[in-house]
Amino acid sequence: MRRCGKMAPAGGTTALLRAVVGGLRGPGRPLWARDAPQLCSTQAATKAPPTPPSPYQEKPWAYLESEEYRATYGDNPVWHGYRRNHKGAIPPQRTRKTCLRKGKLVGNPCPICRDRNLHVDFRNVKLLDQFICPHSGIIFHPTYTGVCMRQHKLLSKAITQAQEHGLLWLQVPYVPVPQEDFSNRHPAVGKTPPAPTLAPGHPWYPWYEWQPPPAADIARMRRLYKDYLKEKEPPPAVGTPMDTPPAPCVEPRGE
Amino acid sequence: MAALGAGGSAAGLARLRRVARTLWGWRARRGLGQEAGAAGGGEGGRPAFTDEVVQSLLCKMTGLNLQKVFRPVKMELKPPKYKLMTEAQLEEATRKAIEEAKEKLVMPPVLNEREPIDDVLAEDKFLEGTETTKYVFTDLTYSVPHRERFIVVREPNGVLRKATWDERDRMIQIFFPKEGRRVIPPVIFKDEHLPNVFRQDRHEDLLNMCIAQFEPDSPDYIRVHHRTYDDIEKHAKYDLLRSTRHFGGMVWYLVNRKKTDGLLIDMIHRDLLDDTTSLITLYHMLHPECQSAKEAKVQKLQGIDLIKVFVKTESQKEGYVQLALQAYEEAMATSTGS
Repeated sequence: MRRCGKMAPAGGTTALLRAVVGGLRGPGRPLWARDAPQLCSTQAATKAPPTPPSPYQEKPWAYLESEEYRATYGDNPVWHGYRRNHKGAIPPQRTRKTCLRKGKLVGNPCPICRDRNLHVDFRNVKLLDQFICPHSGIIFHPTYTGVCMRQHKLLSKAITQAQEHGLLWLQVPYVPVPQEDFSNRHPAVGKTPPAPTLAPGHPWYPWYEWQPPPAADIARMRRLYKDYLKEKEPPPAVGTPMDTPPAPCVEPRGE
Repeated sequence: MAALGAGGSAAGLARLRRVARTLWGWRARRGLGQEAGAAGGGEGGRPAFTDEVVQSLLCKMTGLNLQKVFRPVKMELKPPKYKLMTEAQLEEATRKAIEEAKEKLVMPPVLNEREPIDDVLAEDKFLEGTETTKYVFTDLTYSVPHRERFIVVREPNGVLRKATWDERDRMIQIFFPKEGRRVIPPVIFKDEHLPNVFRQDRHEDLLNMCIAQFEPDSPDYIRVHHRTYDDIEKHAKYDLLRSTRHFGGMVWYLVNRKKTDGLLIDMIHRDLLDDTTSLITLYHMLHPECQSAKEAKVQKLQGIDLIKVFVKTESQKEGYVQLALQAYEEAMATSTGS
């Protein structure tokens, strides 16, 4: 950029002088340079005041009864008369993904996005009814109504929610009457008496409590250690546990 | 299970009905059958919902309006089909339609609420602390009926118990899904959302959804049915259920609770005197100790006399019923006179 006024001095101080001359506007612009005029609308304009939130946020169904709605749409559904903009005669089989990009509406928004008072909610049944075929009960395809894919998804969810809450009609499949035995006598579903071992006082598993070892094992041990036994005869076979186990005591090998 | 009702010829379906009748008949004769919850205690000789006599009376009262049973429903649009038939063919087609309608009007069972399951099979205290969640073990043998399927739960504290009815229904629906049934019951069956459905006069749809979702002896099924019947009785919307499979259950409920006046007035308004006599007969069968039953037995009353005696002794809204009867008699007199 050429400078006027001062003669460009030699060499290394050019950048420094430029900075000094440019001042607060930055190194590339002289102090007297003004901002270029705003000639076209694509340049940054003054920000518009933010739109107030819709008064029907809490009660979206109230809008469909209001004068405003009647004046705008009359008796037609909200998507009546909407035309998509696309190249060629055959429209793409999917509408646009969403009408709201970076917080702003695109050109020619879909029938729901263009009216800020229309809220897709499972409680405003009148709006949801406009997107259901009155003859077959299916939800219209977005290419028929022109809504964006995001709104179509929200609509489908709201419609199923309304059907679950009983606000919208739902086709109920015919289920024949169940023909089974309803007496509930089978042990899988009826009362089963507890096992005799599970009476109170008995341990749940027999091995929870001490049990006397089988006689064959006692005889085998006695045979193995017969040279070291203190008593000549085996102790009487008892069923109840004693304080000390009646196993044959082995003499400690000399310590 | 869904194939049972959907497919099959008329003969197959008739066979099923015979089987069902013998099953119910056997249970009623044995005295083991579950009878409907009644105002008084169940006695030995008390008629059950499944008795032949009771079923025939209820069928007569339900009626058979072919236009209503086979009314068009919202579905995929197809061009209509036209058939050119002779008189004989038309009669044959009507006969077949009546048979099919009778299959559709088979009444769902009316049962007492099921007993909760709370049996403990084992208490293994040494398993305590090893797991942090419950484990549900379901027997997945395909040929076992669902009511004989063993489903047990191992709790984190080592207790092995049988699964509760809720857990059983959920597990069976997960592994053997049935058409029209969801694992978690829809929100529509909660008490706060039922009025939305009643406001739209969709009682029949609601009851069909209830049959699809719940078992006939589950508390939710019984609760939804009772609420529906109460709403119908409150607003006198009896005609909504006429010619459907739910009418019999509704009449049984009302007669057991002695709330028959509205139904009586509705029948007289629609000139259904036969239905009124059947209703009063059923009432006398279920409440044999009441005065009108004794008088009817003694005097062997028929027709309008029976109704008049019943109205004098048993009804709460006597005035309205008398008015309706008078209007009916005047209409009969003018029609016979002119």
